[in-house]
Parts: sequence; C-alpha cells; structure tokens
Amino acid sequence: MSVCRPIRCLLNPSLPKPPSTPKRTFHASASKAARRRRPHYPSIKAADLKLLNQTAEEKYPKYDTSETTLLSKRYTPAQIAAIKAAESAIDTKDLVTQAQRRSDPWLLPYEDDMSLMDPVTDHAPKLTAKDLPYNHGFREANEVEQTYAISKIATENMAKLYPNGTPEGEMNEQEARRYEEALEIAMTQAALDPRAIYHSKKNEVVNALADPRFSTILPDLPRLENRMAKQTRRIAAQEEEDPRQKRLLQYMDWTKDDVKKIRVKTLVVHGVTNQTRMGKIRSMYYLTIAGNMDGLLGVGEGKSVEPDEGRKQSTMAAIRNMRPIPRYEGRTTYGNLEQKVGATKVQLFSRPPGFGLRTQHLIFEMARAAGLQDLAARTPRSRNKMNVIKATWEALCNQKLPDEIARARGKKLVDVRKVYYGGSIY
Amino acid sequence: MSLVNLAHVCSHLQNASKARLGLTSIPVSKMHVKLGLGLQREGFLSSVTLGGQTPPRPFLLQSTVGPEEHDELAQKLADEPWNAFPAFDSHRNPPLGRDEHVSRVKVPQNPAQQRLWLGLKYWNNEPVLKNMKLESKPTRRIWLTSEDLAKITRTRDSGYIKGLTHPGECLFLTTDRGILEARECVERRLGGMVLCRVW
Repeated sequence: MSVCRPIRCLLNPSLPKPPSTPKRTFHASASKAARRRRPHYPSIKAADLKLLNQTAEEKYPKYDTSETTLLSKRYTPAQIAAIKAAESAIDTKDLVTQAQRRSDPWLLPYEDDMSLMDPVTDHAPKLTAKDLPYNHGFREANEVEQTYAISKIATENMAKLYPNGTPEGEMNEQEARRYEEALEIAMTQAALDPRAIYHSKKNEVVNALADPRFSTILPDLPRLENRMAKQTRRIAAQEEEDPRQKRLLQYMDWTKDDVKKIRVKTLVVHGVTNQTRMGKIRSMYYLTIAGNMDGLLGVGEGKSVEPDEGRKQSTMAAIRNMRPIPRYEGRTTYGNLEQKVGATKVQLFSRPPGFGLRTQHLIFEMARAAGLQDLAARTPRSRNKMNVIKATWEALCNQKLPDEIARARGKKLVDVRKVYYGGSIY
Repeated sequence: MSLVNLAHVCSHLQNASKARLGLTSIPVSKMHVKLGLGLQREGFLSSVTLGGQTPPRPFLLQSTVGPEEHDELAQKLADEPWNAFPAFDSHRNPPLGRDEHVSRVKVPQNPAQQRLWLGLKYWNNEPVLKNMKLESKPTRRIWLTSEDLAKITRTRDSGYIKGLTHPGECLFLTTDRGILEARECVERRLGGMVLCRVW
C-alpha cells in the first residue's frame, strides 16, 4: 500500500475510493488488465442447474416397468443391455443443452426399429450350409421335376407381378400385351431359377439355393432416390467417360482413388491466337501443377480451342510429369537454391521449422502441393508467371543432396542427428 | 597483387569445369599451391602437381609396370618378404630392383616457366567444383575471428560475409597456420583473412 494514502482509508474501508484519474493509453486496444476476465467455462447458477436437471428428466425420462416389459417382448436381453448402455453413456443434460437434430440429406433414421434389417446400415445376415439341419445333398432335376418346378415358380412370379390376381375375362389390347410380357418374364425367370435346375428330397434345401442369405455374393445396395445422390452418381458416370483419364490410369498403374488424392491447381490461364491466312484462331493456354502433398510435384501445360479440353490436357500432363522433390526433414529444401529460366530468376531459401511458407503465391502453391512447409523465396528479376513456375520446379527437382556431394568429394558423411536426438528425426 | 591472381584462378577453375576439362594449369605461387592442396583435401580436386608448360604425364601412366616386370616383382617379394619394409638406405637402392611409386615429372628450373597442374573432378555428369568466388577483394581484405566463422559455418551472416547456405559449401581462409577451411578454423579456434568460397 502506498504511504501517500491517508490513514482513514485504512481505518474505514467502507469509505468510497476517490475516482481514479484516467490513465493515458498509448495503444488503440484496451490494456490487458482492463479486459474483463471471464472463466473459460460458463458459470451456471445453482437454481438454473436444478431447472436444467428437471427439464432433462422430463424430456428424457427413465424407462418404467411397463416399458421395460414391452421392450423385453420385442428385443433380446443382449439388445436391451446394449440399449441401456448406450443411453447411460449420454448425459441427458448434454442432450438438452447441446443436441440438435441433423437435417442434411444423409441423415440416418433416428427412430430405428432394430427388429428389422436396414439394407444400408446393417450387415446382411449370412447363412451357410451348416444352418440347414438336413442332409443337403442335391442333384440335377430330371425333365418331369423341372417342368413341375418351373410351373410352380412361374406361378409365384406371376403372383408377384399381379398382387391383386390375374385379370379375368376380356382384356383390351394394352392390357393383353402387358399380360403376355409378364408371362414371358415369369417363365424366363423360372427357367433360370436354380430351384428349377436342381432337385433335392428336402424342399428347404432347394429353397436355400434361391435364398440370397445363402449366397456368397453380397446383395446390391438399394438405389437411393435422392437429388444429391443422383447428382453424385451422374458426376461419377461422367468421370468414367473421360478417355484421357483412363489412359493416365493405365500409364501410372493407378486406381481412380489415387488420382483423387492428388492436389491439382491451374495457376496460369490466358488466351493465345494463331494468325493464319483464314484469320485468327483463338485458343486457351493452361498451366497446371499437381502434387501429392508428400514430395511429388508436376507441372503440365495444355492448349486447346475448347477451354475444358485445354484444362484437362494440362491437368493430365501435370499428373504424368510428377517428379520426386527431395525434402530436408520432410519440410524444407536442402540449402538455398537458385534457378534461371529466361529472364526469370528464382531464389529459394531453406528455413527453420515453424517458419512457414513466406513466398509469393505461385511458389506458395507449388510448395504446398509438394509438401514443403518452411520456405522463403525471392524473384529478383522478371516475374513472368510461367517462367517462375518452371524455374521453381526445376530448382526443386535438381537439388544436390549431401550424400551425393560426399560421394563426389570422396568424403564420409555421417548424420549425427541420429545419435544426438535418439533417431527421432525424419 | 596476389588477390588479383587468386581472382583469375577462381574464374579460370569455373571456366575449366564448365568446359569439362580433366586437367588445367594455374600460375605457381605459395598461396596457390596451398589453396590447391586445401581444395584437394576437401575433395574438389583430384591432383595437384608442379610441372612445366606441358601437362605432366598422368600418375597411372608414370607408375605402370609391364605384366612381366610385375610378375618378377611379385615373385621377388614372395621369396624375400622382408623387402616390403623400408630399410635405412632403401631410397638410394630399392630392395626390389625398382621403386614403382616414384613419379618423374620434369620441373623447369626457371620459375617463370613453372605451372601448377590441377586435376578437376566430375561426378554424375556434374563438375564437383562448380562455383568459386573471391570473398576478400584486393581493395577490401576481410579478416574474421573464430566466433564469426562459427556463425558463418552455421549458415548465419557475419561481418561482410554471407553464411555457408549451399549444401557442401566451403570457405577458405589464410591463417598463421596456413590456408585452412572455415570449419577447421572453428575447430582450432583460429581467425584469419578470407580468401574464397567454393561450392
């Protein structure tokens, strides 16, 4: 306490303090002490907490005995245990304060009937020959058995096609044609059905042949009738059509997913014209870079009258041209680099960890695609975009590695970091 | 004047390696010889030989013995193996009849006609010595302490000298213990006058 303060402040603490003189601030932002200090967690009053508990209990009540008996009728004890475990894992208070319902097109049905199979989320039940309690021997059916089976299966199929019974009496032309088509379908399906081809003493064994649960092939997923799903399906179909990509995949021996992982960016776009005696032919030029963010970088050029064509050309060329970039500790270059293309000179400087990519945008994009994290750069002369990109690429590709230098000079090189830092380096 | 000559040597070595020469010559001076030996020690040069106006015979050609002669030597060594070790007068009359390691290079007596022949190295279709640049200038000589050199070898700038940022870059200094590389100076805690950087 200051000595200058009068003694009555000490004796009588209830006296109002003199208003503090406004301090002169030298900064536009509020000084740190003046900022309101708030705890990182919300301060909830006891009464509010009680209210919250009440609401949670009302909104999500515990099961009473009538409900548990109902549940036990519907679910097995294991399922009930799972339900209870899942419900106890989530605090009902959190449900009240934080939970919200999903509204995206991919949301799952919340009220799930666990006694039914959902073909999207649930595993299809699988049965094997051991699940048949009978002698499951079967042989090829003879003609009589085959005719009998076909007629039986065809009737079943017709019943599926006409759930309300086959039309009786006179039919108009359209109906008659439809009926004939249905008959033909039913007969073809019946003839191809394994139940018509094989015969067994036990009916269940024959039925198992047509049962998808016994099949080793997984059933098809149901078609989702959804706008979003349709759109994605269409895009996937379009991609499949591109012959250039197909050739690229063959060339690289890749799958489509591998191509999707590549980071591709078109950095230069401009129009070019070819003057002929017929007139000017305008086309578009594209320069694209491609990298896997982990030490591969490619640059590709494309030119075409059709803009889309040119862009695709450059993208594929970039992916095809990808070359390995040596990286020191997986983050920066080996020493400083310098490369000249035309009137453009690019200087790249390696930097310590955590420095970041402090470069111009073109070199930044290339460094990011190659997976470099610490780099500085200068382009002291011409800054032609195409030449900057080409010079950077050449500089990154043609780095001199310490091992190579040691071999060239006949020196022995030992990486002592492996000793000093317990080998915990890249 | 000596730094002017050194500047000529620097640019001559760069030009020679650009032209992919295997052997080149520079004028002889004590500093050039020491620098050449320093470069050889760092692995930039394959050979440093004092010679005349014409290039010396390559070492391999000098020391080659014919197959019959070689067999004879081998037989003699097998019979009398103690001759493999030097005796006190072995330089005068070699025990095996001839000394296969003596190289005979004719060096003119006239110092004006002497040249220093340097063998250049190449690896993976790239010259080993690609850049060589004078750091001290005839008009501005730069002296550095060992503390400065410690900074420079750790890629930081110090004084008027930029750090050694290229992989495998070397800086040569002339000290009171001869011409040394910067890292060697740091090890021995020596300072000196900077001559040139090589990478």
